[in-house]
Amino acid sequence: MLVEYGFLLIYMAVGLGITGVILFANTVLGPRRRPSPAKLMPYESGIPPLSSPRERFHVRYYLIAMIFLIFDLEIAFIYPWAVIYQQLGWAGFWEMLVFLGILILGYVYAWKRGALRWE
Amino acid sequence: MSTPMETVTAPLWGWVLLTVVKSLAVLIALLTAFAYMTWLERRLIARFQIRLGPNRVGPFGLLQPLADGIKLFFKEDFMPEEADKPLFLLAPAISMIAAFTAFAVIPFGPTDITLWGVPLFQIANPDTGILFVLAATSLGVYGIILGGWASTSKYPLLGALRSSAQLISYELAVGLAIVGVIVLSGTLKLPEIVEQQAGLWNLFVLPLGFLLLVVGATAEVNRAPFDLPESEQELTAGYHTEYGGMKFAAFFVAEYVNLVTAASVITTLFLGGWRGPFVDQIPLLGLFWFFVKVFAFVFFFIWLRATLPRVRYDQLMDLGWKLLIPLAFVNLFVASLIAL
Amino acid sequence: MGVITGSPVLTTTVEQFERLVNWARKNSVWPFQFGLACCAIEMMASAAARFDLARFGAEMMRASPRQSDLMIVAGRVSQKMAPVLKHLYDQMLEPKWVISMGDCASCGGVYNNYAILQGVDKIVPVDVYVAGCPPTPDNLLYGFTLLQEKILRDHPLHPVIQGKKTNHNEETRNRAKEPTTR
Repeated sequence: MLVEYGFLLIYMAVGLGITGVILFANTVLGPRRRPSPAKLMPYESGIPPLSSPRERFHVRYYLIAMIFLIFDLEIAFIYPWAVIYQQLGWAGFWEMLVFLGILILGYVYAWKRGALRWE
Repeated sequence: MSTPMETVTAPLWGWVLLTVVKSLAVLIALLTAFAYMTWLERRLIARFQIRLGPNRVGPFGLLQPLADGIKLFFKEDFMPEEADKPLFLLAPAISMIAAFTAFAVIPFGPTDITLWGVPLFQIANPDTGILFVLAATSLGVYGIILGGWASTSKYPLLGALRSSAQLISYELAVGLAIVGVIVLSGTLKLPEIVEQQAGLWNLFVLPLGFLLLVVGATAEVNRAPFDLPESEQELTAGYHTEYGGMKFAAFFVAEYVNLVTAASVITTLFLGGWRGPFVDQIPLLGLFWFFVKVFAFVFFFIWLRATLPRVRYDQLMDLGWKLLIPLAFVNLFVASLIAL
Repeated sequence: MGVITGSPVLTTTVEQFERLVNWARKNSVWPFQFGLACCAIEMMASAAARFDLARFGAEMMRASPRQSDLMIVAGRVSQKMAPVLKHLYDQMLEPKWVISMGDCASCGGVYNNYAILQGVDKIVPVDVYVAGCPPTPDNLLYGFTLLQEKILRDHPLHPVIQGKKTNHNEETRNRAKEPTTR
């Protein structure tokens, strides 16, 4: 089985090579001029920026990220179950139903508490 | 389906060389596909809008992608002063490599055609299969969020935040929709999933899962009507606002290669992959059928862009969290009932 | 071409190469999505059906100056807008071109007063002037083809081959009249 990951590594190395060549070629081939101060400024629709762009952003992004983390983990648990599901039979079905039931309970709770609300 | 552990008969240098050649061929094919998808998209969108589209460069404007590419190579290489320089360089590379990597496990032709025991029409066939595709596409989010963060500019940062929130939201729906197929097939390996669809495509078994995957994949690859990360009216160009020249092109490549990968995954999981009429008699036809199916999806995505207006951000999040995820649970339930 | 003297073979190669680069640049001019006044409506019309700027590969209106090659100054430039326009032009990456679209952008047009900049060439170098008030899409397309001809006469490899970086500051090259302040 390891040989498959060998294939993958080789493929990724070739991909890395192509990406590197493409990005490096641009550096070599592009016109070189010392950029003016205006060009080095961040783009803000033509107006010099007044404040730092590293501003605080809304808390709901964190919330979404956290809920995602929980659910993605649950899905990661479902995958191995799905692979051997046909061998497990009805026992597997009921077990997953209980597991997903708890998960869905949490999901409904998050929904009702407004964690998924986006205004 | 035998594991290559037993079947690889070539000496070490043999299969390494073969894999390098294969990788080069696939990557160049992907890059060519990217180039001609931009051409196709511009031509098709033009036709949808009763225009002609690029037609001055070469026959039917076929050399247009070449001109664009050369121009981008000869564009100034630029980095903003306040940017986080290593990350600014790294972000497009991560995006591009992640997009390339995801394609590695897709069987784009009959996998029993081998040379020295190495299948010719698939780069690698690890046990993780479809899970590997999900992992690799998730890595693309790093490219986007790092690109937005490293630019030290407001539009890219906001675009990156939105983009990553969108991508992770729809990843849940996509992940759950795919589980339905896994329940039916009992394996993560894509060639085996294709083999199992020899009789009946999964599309007819799990139409809901197919629909979920198509909608989710559209959002995952930032295509209209879910192209909010790049909504020009609000965020100029989103996370790649500060990128020009080839670094910008790298993001562009990543986007289109992801589109090809998404189309390939849907094809493999639901449309029988490379299987088609007469493929058992002439195995090479598999390549052709795979291409036809993927092309149909690419056309579909372009068609969507020409037809649908962009959704609002709250609509996008509501659709992902409040509609697709419950439907994905229903899909999983139905699939596990069918599988028993 | 006079870039390299002495080796005719090399000169021809360089010429061919420059021709290739120019051909690519000419056919892939991405305009900046930037409209100032009524001329912008005509600019939009020239990208839409019937006129179709896309035929020349130029419908990729980029919203970011880093990704665009051509600034179409479509409309009168007010004194308030002038520094912004200059700043946007500065932020575009080399090589870049400017089309001054319409009478107002080219020379102030009917707005011969204190509020309007009397010609955008006072702040950015203009490659092609398109006359009209507003110019019809055909006029703009004609101006665009003129720009393409101009691009073909460019020498993109000049600084590379002479082996020295052109280190003069862009500000001086563009003869800045309106310095951008922070």
